[in-house]
Amino acid sequence: MANPLVAMHAMAGILSIFAFLLVFVELLSPGEKTIKRVKIFALIGTILIFISWIIGGYYYLTYYGPDVKPAIKEGSNPWIHSVIMETKEHIFLFLPFLAILTTGIIFSYSNLLKNNKAKSSVLLLCALIILLGLAIAGMGYFISAGARAVGVG
Amino acid sequence: MKLNIKSLNYSTILTICLIVVLTILGELSESFKTFLTSITGHHWVTKGVFSSIFFVIIYFLISRTNKDGAELTRQVIYTIIAAVLSAIIIFWFYVLHFVS
Repeated sequence: MANPLVAMHAMAGILSIFAFLLVFVELLSPGEKTIKRVKIFALIGTILIFISWIIGGYYYLTYYGPDVKPAIKEGSNPWIHSVIMETKEHIFLFLPFLAILTTGIIFSYSNLLKNNKAKSSVLLLCALIILLGLAIAGMGYFISAGARAVGVG
Repeated sequence: MKLNIKSLNYSTILTICLIVVLTILGELSESFKTFLTSITGHHWVTKGVFSSIFFVIIYFLISRTNKDGAELTRQVIYTIIAAVLSAIIIFWFYVLHFVS
């Protein structure tokens, strides 16, 4: 059975992507309460990235490093750790800072909806967070499949 | 709340660059990886702690010397280019590291 920490880490990550997707959608079709909702979604998305970071880090240090990593590296697909996991764990470190930047812009520009430069900047950053997040989620799927294949997932 | 967005952009770019440098140096130099590990018990945790501290310090340093300016979109595009290129560099570094 999969470790519940993996599910919690993945869930927090996916929900954070979803929160930034909501920011993106809200800004594309702004309404009366858009600015308030955008602030809430961005804040939630940023907090969820930090939660995913902490849970993922705890799992990595406590279970993945001692048990899963050696099994994957000794199995028939060592590249799953050596390439996919190594890439995932380091690219993930970009996300908290990108989320802080995005949320910082949202909270700093009270006229976000009227300021096209600020609005397009937030849209671009949200798109980047969503795409990087989805790539990381995809890599997480590969790693889980790799762990299952060697009987430790 | 009003942050200095120019500083926030530059500190994000520099932090992402720091992550790439720490990652690659850690793989190329065993002694550097051991040094990173000795600080928190795991090199990845040290990279996260270093990046967070670096991000905050750089933000305040740049904020003190630079006023927040225009050209927000251009700054954000630089940040996006830095993040995408860094992600590609890390991925290809580990591919080459694995096959070599």
